[in-house]
Amino acid sequence: MTDQSNFHPSTKLLEEYALGTLSTGMSVAISAHVELCDDCKQHVSVAEQHAATAWAGSASTKSNGAPDYSDVIASIVSQVQDGSVAPQISVPEELHTPEHSVVLPRVLAKVAAEGLVWKKLAGGINQARVELDNETQCEFIYMKPGSKTPVHTHMGSEVTLVLDGSFSDEMGEYGPADFVLRDKKDHHQPCSDEGCLCFAVLDSPLTFTKGLARLFNPLIRYKFRRATSAGI
Amino acid sequence: MVDEVKKRTSRAGHEEARSDEALLIAVGNTQDRVAFEQLFSRFSSRIYALGMKLTRNEQLSHDLVQEAMLTVWKKAPLYDLDRGTAQSWIFTLTRNRCFDILRKQKRQPNCISADDIWPQDGEPAGSLVNEETATQEIEVSQIESFYNELPDAQKAVVEQIFIFDRTHEEAARVLDIPLGTLKSRLRLGVAKLKQHVGVDE
Repeated sequence: MTDQSNFHPSTKLLEEYALGTLSTGMSVAISAHVELCDDCKQHVSVAEQHAATAWAGSASTKSNGAPDYSDVIASIVSQVQDGSVAPQISVPEELHTPEHSVVLPRVLAKVAAEGLVWKKLAGGINQARVELDNETQCEFIYMKPGSKTPVHTHMGSEVTLVLDGSFSDEMGEYGPADFVLRDKKDHHQPCSDEGCLCFAVLDSPLTFTKGLARLFNPLIRYKFRRATSAGI
Repeated sequence: MVDEVKKRTSRAGHEEARSDEALLIAVGNTQDRVAFEQLFSRFSSRIYALGMKLTRNEQLSHDLVQEAMLTVWKKAPLYDLDRGTAQSWIFTLTRNRCFDILRKQKRQPNCISADDIWPQDGEPAGSLVNEETATQEIEVSQIESFYNELPDAQKAVVEQIFIFDRTHEEAARVLDIPLGTLKSRLRLGVAKLKQHVGVDE
């Protein structure tokens, strides 16, 4: 499943993800992509290291007013430490479409664990909303084989992460683990021949513009592609 | 200029100043409170600064210092050098706590937390595992020479465990040291070897 995807979050987005400055919805979508993409995993880990190094020099000026933390320290060290490895979600959560059962990335398994309520929309599209924050609209989308969405416009930008199957629009064809970013200028009409399960995040345009500009920067796409082919 | 000199001399006076990693491992292995206090004073103003940057709120930033350092204390037993430098370990953990603090403040649904979004304690990335096996052969030959450079106390422990193949309990008895001491020396020794071999890459 790894290293298959052709569409990735921009470097800028991955860096913001590493810093923790993105919305929850956006962070979840990137987290799910990163779990499926070794390349982006590597980028994030490097970005984290850079951020940590830059962080080291960030607070040297503030040494005078350091408050007295001795009470805090005393109360912390009186607590019991975690002896063992933190429990992980042990059973991978699966989503069943009529075509397949799909193993979800861990973070999405957690999101779906509360239960999904599917709604039928026009054109063979099914949608299950999940509420992650107050800034984005997040949903699982299942497109039946042969379905075609009505041409739609959104307020902001839209991220679509393909989890199973594929869909296509005027700009390309997208398969598992692809991270597709569209903004409202892009009039697209996604359709799917074989059926498709996605996770989608509608975000405010403000958060996105920089990332978007970078995503379509051919240099960066080239870099990603080269890194992918240089990999395994 | 004078400050510069002062700083340098005081640093020279603390030749034994332990690295962040050594402190963190001591906290994890032996609940070393002195080590924790040192980590606290090294990191609290940095954590506060990151909090101010991300939340722009003094109260939340103070909360962040407490929550992040509490997490450092609690999770220290899970830290080892495979997880990178102490600094990046504490950075990612601070970022996660801050993300959760902000979510709580914005009253966002709590079906998900930062530790779900950035899994810390899961298996290492697939590519890293591959790299590890690829470099294994080089390590074995190099490790011997680095082993000889270890401080005697750590060398003795590493020898008992890895060369004589003793259990921790047996080794502690042979060397006549407490089990906790043995474990922390072992971790430090192995950590040093790993560092020399460049596992920190």
